[in-house]
Amino acid sequence: MRTRPAARVAQYTALLAYLVFLLLPFLWLLSVAFKPPRELGSLHPTWIPKDPTLANFRQAFDEQPLLHAAFTSLLAASSAAVIAVALATPMAYVMARRRTRLARAASGWVVVSQAFPFVLVIIPLFLVLKKLRLIDSVPGLVTVYVVWSLPFALWMLVGHVRTVPVELEEAAAIDGAGRLRTLVSVTAPLLAPGIVATALFAFVTAWNEFFFALVLLKTPEKQTLPVVLTHFIGAEGAADLGPLAAAAFLATLPSLAVFALIQRRITGGRLAGAVKS
Amino acid sequence: MTSATERSRPARPARPATGAGAPRGVAGHGAWFLVLPALVPILVLSVGPLLYGILLAFTDAQSGRTAPTRWTGVLNFSDLLRDTLFWESFRIGLLWAVTVTALQFLLALGLALLLDQDLRLRRTARALAIVPWAMPEVVVGVMWRLVYNPDAGILNETLHDLGLGDGRDWLSGLATALPAVIVVGVWAGMPQTTVTLLAGLQNTPPELHEAAAVDGAGAWRRFRAVTWPALRPIALAITALDFIWNFNSFALVYVLTNGGPGGRTRLPMLFAYEEAFRYGQFGYAAAMGCVMVAVVSVFLALFLVGRIRGGDGG
Amino acid sequence: MRARLLALVVLLLLAGCSSGSGPGDGPVTLRFQSLAWQEESVTAVRELVAQWNATHADVKVEYVQGGWDSVHDQLLTSFEGGEAPDIIHDASDDLADFAYGGYLADLTDLLPAGLKSDIPRRSWETTTFGGRVYGVPFLQEPRVLVANATWLRRSGVRIPTPGHPWSWPEFRQITRRLSGDGKYGVAWPLKEPVSATLNLSLSAGGRLFHRDADGDVTVRFEAGDAVVPRTVHDQIGADRSASPTTLGSGGSDILPGFFGGRYAMVPLGFSYRQQIVQQAPEGFRWHVLPAPAGADGPAQGVSPQTLSVAADSRHKKAAVAFLAFLLRPENMVRLALGDWMLPTGTQALADPALHTAKDDWAVGTALAAYLRPAPAQSVRGYPEWKDKVATPAFQEYYSGAIGLDELRERLEKDGNLVLARYQR
Repeated sequence: MRTRPAARVAQYTALLAYLVFLLLPFLWLLSVAFKPPRELGSLHPTWIPKDPTLANFRQAFDEQPLLHAAFTSLLAASSAAVIAVALATPMAYVMARRRTRLARAASGWVVVSQAFPFVLVIIPLFLVLKKLRLIDSVPGLVTVYVVWSLPFALWMLVGHVRTVPVELEEAAAIDGAGRLRTLVSVTAPLLAPGIVATALFAFVTAWNEFFFALVLLKTPEKQTLPVVLTHFIGAEGAADLGPLAAAAFLATLPSLAVFALIQRRITGGRLAGAVKS
Repeated sequence: MTSATERSRPARPARPATGAGAPRGVAGHGAWFLVLPALVPILVLSVGPLLYGILLAFTDAQSGRTAPTRWTGVLNFSDLLRDTLFWESFRIGLLWAVTVTALQFLLALGLALLLDQDLRLRRTARALAIVPWAMPEVVVGVMWRLVYNPDAGILNETLHDLGLGDGRDWLSGLATALPAVIVVGVWAGMPQTTVTLLAGLQNTPPELHEAAAVDGAGAWRRFRAVTWPALRPIALAITALDFIWNFNSFALVYVLTNGGPGGRTRLPMLFAYEEAFRYGQFGYAAAMGCVMVAVVSVFLALFLVGRIRGGDGG
Repeated sequence: MRARLLALVVLLLLAGCSSGSGPGDGPVTLRFQSLAWQEESVTAVRELVAQWNATHADVKVEYVQGGWDSVHDQLLTSFEGGEAPDIIHDASDDLADFAYGGYLADLTDLLPAGLKSDIPRRSWETTTFGGRVYGVPFLQEPRVLVANATWLRRSGVRIPTPGHPWSWPEFRQITRRLSGDGKYGVAWPLKEPVSATLNLSLSAGGRLFHRDADGDVTVRFEAGDAVVPRTVHDQIGADRSASPTTLGSGGSDILPGFFGGRYAMVPLGFSYRQQIVQQAPEGFRWHVLPAPAGADGPAQGVSPQTLSVAADSRHKKAAVAFLAFLLRPENMVRLALGDWMLPTGTQALADPALHTAKDDWAVGTALAAYLRPAPAQSVRGYPEWKDKVATPAFQEYYSGAIGLDELRERLEKDGNLVLARYQR
């Protein structure tokens, strides 16, 4: 297939327009993060800070317990990711390999859970966690994150399991390998990259999560990073823009790093592959 | 996400069920043992609360420890029927969800088609295009607040430089707040849709395109005849999901406008959140949740049934 | 397997429980959540806490920083979860739901007599619900007009005093005189229009909330309630004497326009003087003027800042002892100076430091006698009514999108529906 040069130019222009739309806001965040207060107050802001400074970062750390919040976020997100994947992998295996009523019910639930507004779940969950005295505690939040990321983890993992050929397992079984050994020595290694990707994805989702953290964590020193970020926006919506931008930028770095890691898997169509399956 | 799997199956040639040929031995009797670890939390912390939530909608559950909770029948629902503010919020929610989903889809389709072309730098472009997806929603909100800021924001400055007036306070204007927030919603949700559609595109066999090209079909005809039929199931699935996600979105408006000005961007999710966790009206908020689920389900069912029928007819 | 899972769940739960703070054997620790946010007031509060800790080995006070923007949500969830701080800083119009909800300790019999008699009755009314006292009102501020002194003098209008304020019609006429040429007599920062409108309406006899014999409250928007809203509405719409672009602005947002000579006057809380002193360009001269008065004189409603003790606190006596320390007259003066507000205590209010001409402290202090409990006081469901019904209704009325009848209709019809849910 040939494409006419004019069409090519149009295509590149369109692509450029897309990238500008998608990336410029982020660059603006960066720009604001490095601007001194005097520049932020000027009526005609510029893209490149005239007098770049790290003062906003220092001020951000002074004003809010960012490090502590980052640690809480890290703890909550990684526990949730590990637990969710550990619980979901066996079930995903069954769902991918067998068509029991249970497996079908489980897939049904995965669908339904996408459609439910969190608010209908969070109110009763809040009341239950309150009775268990798990409000305002990281274990409580982790519990919610695990349950909340299970459908997605299941669904991603089912897709991964399906890529492991059944024939390999059958061959191992014929060779006399036991059920468990087949799983451990044949299926697990082939599944490992998928499990890691799923866990990383669950991690980012929990790291970025805001709603549950907002509802469940109320003591300032127990809050996760996204919730702490909202404290930079004070009463009446007045915000100290520089430190806010600096903190927001820092909070994004881990997510960007993880996405860079699993980027190929995501763009490689794992997601759509599973949608299509 | 498997909604797509379920729905798209009729449109596709029947395939042997993946599990049908699996050896009973591997996952036979052990199935329960493998399923339980995930099933227990699902039942205890997901299905359980869901049912509890539906029950709550029929009580006067409130915060506070002085008054015991009582059954009030459908009182919450009859209150809700008269609650013009809730329905206004609901209307805004539907408007928001439909607009954002539609724009997301159209823009994402365009970008996916571009990225599917044999362009230089398309790998880099693809990687860069998913940056918004990686960002925490709160950061997205913060970032766009900086863009929209009336004095220190780049949007007004750009408009000023282009000679398009002095700009305005986008997020506080009664007329501009919702459109401004919609742009952010589209921005935040576009990458995921793009990636999904792109994967769908890459699964269509290139030979079909080439055959069509040889036949002398123009780009639009090729799209209609070859690309779209192959892409349809995925497009439907991701649109349905986008719609649900958008309808339930919360963090963006919480950070950007907190529902203002004058409730113009108070999406139903924010409304219900405030009802429950600001004013402590748990029962009433649960009733809202029920109504939201019901209406969204109906909406979605109509959409999918309509679309699948339409597709079969054409 | 099931047993093991159960054990796991139990473990998880235990982990959660044990992370909560347990009662130690050592000195009592009280958590004090302060909402102070201006640098000076944070310093003042922290210093007082340090001073207390230095002299009380048996009761330690831990300072926790809260924020005004989310305090209601945060407290509600903390109370529900049983994790609330012992000593709670809030505002009186936010307390009703917490008091009726049983989350706050009844302080009636715990407060020392000295503190009780120092703070006037009308201030105690703001924190009294069902005959019980649920908080100590300690700081308050009148709403005032901050005026560009040069501009006003040049225009030759009568300068009002606390003893002889403008009337509402006079105010409207004067702003009209000051306006024109892209300049406005006044800029109303109306991001939060409800408490401003309601509190100022008291001067015109507006009550809005009416309690019947059963104690149920209904909203009725009457002639007295309409005076202030109509004045503002006409200034923005008919007269063009109030800037139409500041409807979504907070108090701080309009200061640049005020300094830049676009607005002659800005109605603000008395404490905004601090920001004005900090940010005003050199040579900028300003005055504090009393808010206009209506048929009922210069009265206005106020919701003081309050200190309360959580019902769940295990050390209520110690907490009240700390409150009594924090609110000693000399300490109250420090807190007031730190927040640029007025203390409620009569002894503190008499302090010479609060009567200086510098930064117009004296004008505010002279207005203290006219402050009354805000009309919304003790109305259950007021926060929801304010956010969901009244804020949008007033914003749309002021912007000209709806008329007075529609405003009345929304405040009453939608409003009473909300209030009814709290009074079943």
